[in-house]
Amino acid sequence: MSDFTYNLPDVGEGLSEGEIVHWHVSPGDTVAADQIIVDVQTDKAVVEIPAPVAGVMKSLGGSPGDMVPVGAMLAVIETEGAAPKPEPEAPRTEAPKPAAAPAQIDAGKRPLASPATRKLAAELGVSLGDIVGSGPNGRITRDDVQRAAEGGAPAPAAPAPAPAAPVIAPPSGEDRVEPLRGLRRQIANSMATAWRDIPHILTTHEVDATNLVAARAALNEELAADGIKLSYLPLFVKACVGALKRFPAFNASLDMERQEIVYRHRYNVGIATATPDGLIVPVVHDADRKSVVDIARDIEALAEAARARKVTVAQLQGGTFTISNYGSYGGTFGTPIIRPPEVAIAGFGAIRDVVVPVDGVPAVRPNLTLVVSCDHRLNDGEHLGAFSAAIAATLANPVRLLGQA
Amino acid sequence: MVVGQIEDPLDFAVVGAGPGGYAAALRAAQLGRKVTLIDRDGADGVGGVCLRVGCIPSKALIEAAELAQRTRDAADMGIDATLNAVDMPRIQAWKGGVVAGLTDGVRRLLKQAGAEIAKGDFHFTGAKTGVIAADDGQPRFVRFEDLVLATGSRPVTLGDLPTNDKTILNSTGALTLDRVPKTMAVIGGGYIGLEIGTAFAKLGATVTIIEAESRVLPTMDAHLTRPVSRRLKALGIDVKLGTRALGHSRGKLAVSDDRGESKISAEVVVVAVGRRPNTDDLGLNVADLQTDDAGLLAVAEDRRVAPHIAAIGDITPGRALAHKATAEAQVAAEALCGRNTAFVATSVPAVVFSDPEIATVGLSETEAKAEGMDPLAARFPLAASGRGRTINAGEGFVEIIADKADERVLGVHIVGPHASELIAEGTLAVEMGASLEDLALTIHPHPTLSEQVAEAAHVALGRPIHISAPKKRKKSTA
Repeated sequence: MSDFTYNLPDVGEGLSEGEIVHWHVSPGDTVAADQIIVDVQTDKAVVEIPAPVAGVMKSLGGSPGDMVPVGAMLAVIETEGAAPKPEPEAPRTEAPKPAAAPAQIDAGKRPLASPATRKLAAELGVSLGDIVGSGPNGRITRDDVQRAAEGGAPAPAAPAPAPAAPVIAPPSGEDRVEPLRGLRRQIANSMATAWRDIPHILTTHEVDATNLVAARAALNEELAADGIKLSYLPLFVKACVGALKRFPAFNASLDMERQEIVYRHRYNVGIATATPDGLIVPVVHDADRKSVVDIARDIEALAEAARARKVTVAQLQGGTFTISNYGSYGGTFGTPIIRPPEVAIAGFGAIRDVVVPVDGVPAVRPNLTLVVSCDHRLNDGEHLGAFSAAIAATLANPVRLLGQA
Repeated sequence: MVVGQIEDPLDFAVVGAGPGGYAAALRAAQLGRKVTLIDRDGADGVGGVCLRVGCIPSKALIEAAELAQRTRDAADMGIDATLNAVDMPRIQAWKGGVVAGLTDGVRRLLKQAGAEIAKGDFHFTGAKTGVIAADDGQPRFVRFEDLVLATGSRPVTLGDLPTNDKTILNSTGALTLDRVPKTMAVIGGGYIGLEIGTAFAKLGATVTIIEAESRVLPTMDAHLTRPVSRRLKALGIDVKLGTRALGHSRGKLAVSDDRGESKISAEVVVVAVGRRPNTDDLGLNVADLQTDDAGLLAVAEDRRVAPHIAAIGDITPGRALAHKATAEAQVAAEALCGRNTAFVATSVPAVVFSDPEIATVGLSETEAKAEGMDPLAARFPLAASGRGRTINAGEGFVEIIADKADERVLGVHIVGPHASELIAEGTLAVEMGASLEDLALTIHPHPTLSEQVAEAAHVALGRPIHISAPKKRKKSTA
């Protein structure tokens, strides 16, 4: 008999900790290898984690609600025989996932940093997991840690007085304090990183949506027999894909470390989706090869899974462009933040009637405000103008979709 | 507490003067604290188990025993020498001088640091108060600002074999023997039992090692221990595996295995079946501190167990090793002095001074797999080392475990002479996150044993110079 200590593996990219949602077993229970023992909420999804070895559950690494860091003890399993040789396997996500895209396992991997750098991080209260190293192989340097501690700002040339950190008044007895955890923390980190690292520029177009409204109405009339009702979203996706194909520098990534621009050959459009826990962005993969109806079905399924917290890691990965449909909450104008490693995002406002001049005469027309943000490192205002105008033109005249490659 | 009892104010208290405790005391003094170092044995206790009755004296004894063995083997190199006598009292006197020199040095450092040494056992009387109770003095009540617990561990005793300072000894007793017994039985084939058993065999005793598990050093990977098992046999040490000791009387040790009971001649029995943390007598519950079932205190990253109390060394989870305690001591002292800090070591290296030595750091192949990585393991044999041949080294190897994905060195495992020294490079590699190329491209001086480390990295990269490269799979002749 010997004890096998099972440490929480990294079940998704960059995961630093998981929250225990539910134990399927109790101490003393006999478990078979691969039997699901616990559900863990990661930043992205609820993941079912199987026992790596057969044995008897000896102790559990936490109770529901506890945060367990990656690499920390999740469970101790007493096994028969002296030296268990587990075959570590990717924990399974709850919803079935495409076999072709297994969740990447990068377990036990520590940030690449020297002991002195790690100590400095501890001193400055910086988490190495949140830092992208600037050294070879992503090695985190002392400078990286210093920068992260200073909020990522480049070192000033002259010793300027340090900007005072925002003073947060200590909570009074009536204030409610809760830890920043899970998806909220993930959003906090990724938005701060995106806003810090990407020089955003954005432009807007006021689109006469008369034809778009008519096109959707006509489509829904056609599809009514099949019980399908389209929202505008699949049409937005299609319009964006057409523009992305014409302007590949918006379906790309910028690799500053290698000094390379990567043009993506797939068109995977992320849909910003609200869930009870916060924003997630499931991806419609290969939107260029799908019909409007297929895309509608994909979006429906992804939204459903998102709300049930059952989106798989695969469904969240691989995006090359993102759409934010804040118009569904009534807003007409937004300032969408790009999701690295993507380089652009489109925001769609609510369609509403406005008075516009038509042939010099005031007329009432349905109007859609389109906003496109892009990474100015890769595209200039000129390029953004052309790209966003291509989307706007298709929205104004959806029949263009018929001619789209 | 007596009503009206006056408590002595202590600025920075450290309980236990071993390699953890005295290091914490010195670091706290560096940071400007007034330190009181409390030890059961007072100034005599400075250095703790490690320096006084453990690591240091055992290594001195092993070195003397090795010299005796090399004298016997000198003819292999064409030197005719005779081992006239092993004069144990003189060996002990030399060993005592080594220990005294080192402990004196530490006492001097403590004095220079302005640290007070208090004699007695410490017990908590509250979250920030305690009493120092000495056998030969008044109990002294104290109130501390900050306190480091570094009370270490003691040998586990066996009910059927109570130590008696004559025929049944623990490791401490064995290291102070003033004669070489004709026959010795060592209970426990862990690192302490192997070190003592091997040393006394080389000094001339007939040694039997009793181990309950199916091999010696059962907590280490089997392939690391095989050269040691073969060497034990060559030295004439009888290793009885799957065997339990029952009792000892009149020079005979009764043992049992799956074939039944039998008796072994053993003038002296050494019990070396592990160590247990010294946490049971501190009154921890009074200070609202709790240990786990093994008696260990769970610590935060900065080694604190309470806002003003830290715990380090053998009483905390992890291997009970002096260098771990010393490293933790500095973290704990800094944390209690208000610094943000953390124990950041990736791995604590471990060394067994067996023959040959075994030294390991980082992950084994099995551990790397268990953590979900895809590791590769590469080994360079000592037999292919030029330097190894010139020192007439026996069996051994350097093994490197690396992550296939980015070739980062995850672990280094060394068997052979001076493995204990060679592991330092492996430890630096693991801590720095060095890659196989980093090790391979670093020029190692020739002819040295250290070349094995670079060679093992070359093996891992598929391009070894001094052993034949792994054969590529045969291509079809079409």
